[in-house]
Amino acid sequence: MTSAAGPPGSRAAAARRVLILRCPDWLDHTVLAPEDTAGASSIRSERRAGEAAREFESVVAIVGNFCPHVEVLRPGVCAIATRGPARYFGGEAELARKIAEAVCAGGFTCQVGIADSLFAAGLAARAGPTGLLVPPGETREFLAGLPVGVLGMPELCELLPRLGIETLGQLAALPSAEAASRFGPEGKLASRLARGLEPRPLIPRPPAADLSVRQEFDPPAEQSEPVIFAAKALADQMHDRLAAAGFACIRVQVQVCCEDGRELSRLWRHDGLLSALAVAERVRWQLDGWRDGAAGITLLRLIPDQLVRATGRQLALWGDSAPSDRVARAAIRVQAMLGHARVTRPVLAGGRRPAEQMLLVPFGDAGEPQLPPDRPWPGRIPAPSPATVFGEPLTASVTDDFGQPVSVSGRAQISAPPAWLSADGGPRRAVTAWAGPWPVTERWWDPAQAQRQARFQLVTEDGNAWLAALREGSWRLEARYD
Amino acid sequence: MGAGVAEVIALSPVRHQDDVLTGEGMLPVVPALRDLLPGGGLQRGSVVTSGDWGLLSLALAAGAVSDGAWCAIAGVPAAGLRAAAEAGMDPDRVLLVPEPGSAWPQVVASLLDGFDIVLVRLSEQPSAQLRHKLEAAARRYGSVLLVAGDWPGAQSRLAVASTEWTGIGTGYGRLRARRAQVVASGRGAGERLRSAWLWLPGPDGAVTAVVGTAVVGAAVAEEIVPGAGGYGNYRGVAELLASSG
Repeated sequence: MTSAAGPPGSRAAAARRVLILRCPDWLDHTVLAPEDTAGASSIRSERRAGEAAREFESVVAIVGNFCPHVEVLRPGVCAIATRGPARYFGGEAELARKIAEAVCAGGFTCQVGIADSLFAAGLAARAGPTGLLVPPGETREFLAGLPVGVLGMPELCELLPRLGIETLGQLAALPSAEAASRFGPEGKLASRLARGLEPRPLIPRPPAADLSVRQEFDPPAEQSEPVIFAAKALADQMHDRLAAAGFACIRVQVQVCCEDGRELSRLWRHDGLLSALAVAERVRWQLDGWRDGAAGITLLRLIPDQLVRATGRQLALWGDSAPSDRVARAAIRVQAMLGHARVTRPVLAGGRRPAEQMLLVPFGDAGEPQLPPDRPWPGRIPAPSPATVFGEPLTASVTDDFGQPVSVSGRAQISAPPAWLSADGGPRRAVTAWAGPWPVTERWWDPAQAQRQARFQLVTEDGNAWLAALREGSWRLEARYD
Repeated sequence: MGAGVAEVIALSPVRHQDDVLTGEGMLPVVPALRDLLPGGGLQRGSVVTSGDWGLLSLALAAGAVSDGAWCAIAGVPAAGLRAAAEAGMDPDRVLLVPEPGSAWPQVVASLLDGFDIVLVRLSEQPSAQLRHKLEAAARRYGSVLLVAGDWPGAQSRLAVASTEWTGIGTGYGRLRARRAQVVASGRGAGERLRSAWLWLPGPDGAVTAVVGTAVVGAAVAEEIVPGAGGYGNYRGVAELLASSG
């Protein structure tokens, strides 16, 4: 497979056949073109991708029965090279049918596409309800009729139609060198894809030195966490070796051996873009999806696959404030002690209640707030913000001078000024200053999420200030200013 | 040279221990807090307390984080990170371990190895032995252990002595800013009692000084620094300070 570099021509293209299996169940939230593994959008969806990857593992295992080397492009999409298995199972059509049947029998829906390149196979898989088989050598014709929008390169896709290039066929008709000089590296890549070629020529022969890295566990690791911790260090080592040799890898193979002799090997899309932390994450997905917890792990091996010349692209998981290795190491070590989800980083979000305005994302996952922070959110309590925000609001009782609970009418009139506050069943404290009520009616258009409440700020005699809300007759404390 | 060092050790073993810091340097704090800390910042390898959890705890870390330091917050499930952001703390450089559980000493020690500042709220009072271990970890890694709570061996202790909210009345206005008197004491260079009036927070959430100069009351300091009663008696001290300063 690694010898498919040759001069771009029909012979080389015909030599390599790719089958892509696509499970729409996991893809609702991703809006990527098949080749767009580099964009920020893939990062955005990564958190949910983590959960999806764990579930998708069972599909990968089914496909693994047909071909040992399954490459997981992202959760929901995997690829195999068809040459060997097609010969064994009696042709490509038969292979595609068998795989689709096996996956459907497992209770999943899927589409299967086969073509000469990964990009084309991905499009073929989406071509109909069950996918499409593009016969050998016809990939370029198959692509020719498709609009350039399928490339998933927003800038280029806007520019090309204005120049009269509306289909991949027209793009493929341009000489490659012209496309490169006119549209830059992206144009060159697009031109290769349109002609049914792989995005970058592979290095014809693997380099002499073994670039894989391994770690043995003695005694066998019973828990996943130490293995993931080791994976981060191994990935660092592998990246160093690759960089020293001037390579990047398209895929990374993660091989895990168990003390009972079982071995699990998976290919993950890398494209030279994954950080060490992201590789460790993929090891986690693999282990989570596969391990039944019975057998200890004796060996972890990372093998770079499909080497290409390093072009110096680097992707930071956190934009410009990527954590240093030291920080990441400490965080992962604490995750190893407490569990993945109990070490989090905060992401500011929108919303009107203080608890909505902060999202805790497990370290290593990427998260994007559902409520965007940069909208006005009328009704939000303006700065300064409270330093203590209760995830679960505290129950409280707010009473007037006569000990009667303070209530608010439909016209936002209070029954009496609040005089006493008791928080969470604690002692009664005199209210020295207060402001409100500020009625908030949220999501009135959706009965399930609709909320109507009146909010107050209360200052008590001990100097504390509270953000309180009265909803359906009961008082809650949402935050404390302290 | 060796003899001189030995002499110093013999004279003041405790002081000497304090001075041995492998993590060189000082982490910056927001300008309003500079006068309250010996050296004008957070000494790497030291332990600083901020009284009970509150904006002061976040504000102490904010200066260093905006300067590029990384901060871990352990044991505070209800940390208001928007308030932290308003005080100048970039949430992108913050890690939260909301509930470290019973393994909190190991968690804090691990965090000290990676983060410049570890802000921890204690769920239980640690034993002296445990405290010494964590102090040693902070020294070894050159990090700052910022404690929301009491820590007898702390190099600096800050606490909010009195507060007053402005902008809110009885039935009108809203919380706009809080004038707070912050009192600082400590050991070594921080022995003098200092105090300052701060906007904690100011109208935009930032922490700034109300009056630029810190007040130093040596006579008062003697009265309360050795006090075992914690910070409860600061309210009275604040009044004393106000009258003398």
